Amino acid sequence: MVDYDESVIGVEHRLGSFTVTDAAIDAYCEALGETNPLYLDEDFASGTGYGGRIAPPLIFTTANFRGTGADPQVDFGNARFLGGERIEVLEPMRPGDTITAYGQVTEVYEKTGRSGKMVFVVRRTRYENQNGRDVALVDSSMVHREIEA
Amino acid sequence: MSLTGTEQRYFGDAELGDEFEESYVARPELVETYLSVSRGNAQLDDEDGRFSDAAGAQALGLERPIVPGVMSLSIITRLVTDWAGPAGRLRTLDANFRRPVLHGDRLRLMALVTDASDESGIGRVTLDVYLENERGERPLQGTAVVELPHRPR
Repeated sequence: MVDYDESVIGVEHRLGSFTVTDAAIDAYCEALGETNPLYLDEDFASGTGYGGRIAPPLIFTTANFRGTGADPQVDFGNARFLGGERIEVLEPMRPGDTITAYGQVTEVYEKTGRSGKMVFVVRRTRYENQNGRDVALVDSSMVHREIEA
Repeated sequence: MSLTGTEQRYFGDAELGDEFEESYVARPELVETYLSVSRGNAQLDDEDGRFSDAAGAQALGLERPIVPGVMSLSIITRLVTDWAGPAGRLRTLDANFRRPVLHGDRLRLMALVTDASDESGIGRVTLDVYLENERGERPLQGTAVVELPHRPR
């Protein structure tokens, strides 16, 4: 089994916070080619059940705070990439909301596939709004592997 | 079919086997706009330039800079939420990254209805979702669950 720091498993850390702004929503929508008026048109959004403009549900992905929080110091691989994510959307985010991210490493495991050995580091990030309510939960798998130069 | 997010999809409208799609070109300037939001909020892990710099990407063995995986998630989410309409809600998205999306890739955003169930009055629809590039590869595959309202009587 690969060497890593087991003491970080299950220990939640505050990663940082960000504020959802109109400008950030506009830019995020522009980047995605998003034209949904629920995110862009206050008049339209006011007439929906939300009562006003909301942010696209995955806007928090722009603030993943990767590189902060606990590091299990996985002693393997010269490359890493995002293998997968499971996202649970709990509540809408609105302009003006301040979102704080809390993260923990939940699991480290290794697997050998056709391309050789890989080590997976699974992190859970919890995004909480200024009212103390969770707005999203994300489980991310970062894959560490050896790539020949 | 072009989805705008303004048309409400009702639970009764979702039939198993229904397919829908949109398109997206991963133009470098759009990736840069996404990264600018990230820089304003916190940071994206781009110190090696994989998302923004041709030389940095080539040093990693990549043909061109790549689209951040989380941006690919956002791209496929656009398809799902625009299909669901304003009263629909994305509940979960579970996705695996099979290969990178490169700057300039022309993507088809695709979804297929695979399950629909009424759970205590809440209409839940499960979708297989994926991105497909012009080379016929699927860089991202996954499953989304959305809640749709019932049509008013």
